[in-house]
Amino acid sequence: MLRVLALASVVLLGIAPEASQAISIYTGWERHALVGSDIRLSCSFFSWRFVSDDVSFSWSYRPDGSRESISIAHYAGGEPYTDNKGPFKDRVEFVGNPKNRDGSILLKNLDLSDNGTFTCDAKNPPDIVGRPSSVRLLVFEQLPIQAGVITGAIIGVVLGLLVLIVVIYYLMRFLVARRVFSLSVSKHGKKKKEGSQQRQLWTPPPLTCYPLP
Amino acid sequence: MLILIALSVLHIAAIILLLVATIDNAWWVTETVRTDIWARWVFMDNKWNYTDLPDISSYPQDYLQAVQATSVLACIFSIIGLFVFIAQLFTLPKGNRFTISGVFQILACLFIMIAASIYTDRFHLDEAEGNYGHSYILAWIAFGLTFISSIVYFVLRKK
Repeated sequence: MLRVLALASVVLLGIAPEASQAISIYTGWERHALVGSDIRLSCSFFSWRFVSDDVSFSWSYRPDGSRESISIAHYAGGEPYTDNKGPFKDRVEFVGNPKNRDGSILLKNLDLSDNGTFTCDAKNPPDIVGRPSSVRLLVFEQLPIQAGVITGAIIGVVLGLLVLIVVIYYLMRFLVARRVFSLSVSKHGKKKKEGSQQRQLWTPPPLTCYPLP
Repeated sequence: MLILIALSVLHIAAIILLLVATIDNAWWVTETVRTDIWARWVFMDNKWNYTDLPDISSYPQDYLQAVQATSVLACIFSIIGLFVFIAQLFTLPKGNRFTISGVFQILACLFIMIAASIYTDRFHLDEAEGNYGHSYILAWIAFGLTFISSIVYFVLRKK
């Protein structure tokens, strides 16, 4: 049985890489940023092969409302190349670590005209078949409040305080009871005598019915 | 026994009013629009359409979310208060007051008052037509009921 399994796994491992030798590229889906800020767009890939020396990353930008894209950053042969003529001239920097499968770029000093789609294409020869992945950048003058953040925050804080108060209350009761218990154990003999004497002198209070005011 | 039933009915009525005020989208109504703290119903083409609340300056998002949060919290506190009241019925020693249930009800009262007050002060200030809808009115009635309920809990002693 084991031999059959071993044989099957070896056969599968032999066949599978041929079929799934596609590189998978991952970027974010959507990024929000404020005017004037910097943003790091991340791009990483998964490949069945080790990272080769010819690994390459290619970033292109398509403005909102346009159908053409322009290349803004490229990494190949161990050297990064960034935009020196286009819309991101001197504003884009390659900050990824290609040996670590990271091809991220840093966009500086964003403007409202930078709204658009950024596409990352990574190649890890001989693993070159893959779908480029896109991340959408939205630049705001003022970050809008996301739906429900304040609501959730208020509800969470109040309920959290409630739980905290209840926990602290029961903790205090528990600690006080334990302290009283440890004290009474140490003075057990003395207290017991006094207690029995006390019980004879103490009468229970009369039971009365308290009417509603 | 009768007092017990009356108290429970009062508390449950307050909970129902709070839930309707929070969930139903009718804090402000006009001929064709019913709007509120979660979404807006607009009467178009002979049927009611469910739309989002407008994102304009006369609809401050942060205050809207504060109204949402405080009205939901009022419902939560009132419902927890009901369970605490039932628990205290069995565990409270004789002669003691239902303080904790009273505390929960007064908190619910406080929160729904905050919700309705923020709504009154910040929304629909300059609108020509329209009036407050049933959810808004029920919110204030629930404020009254929870207040009375909490006072009774603070004063009543267990027999």
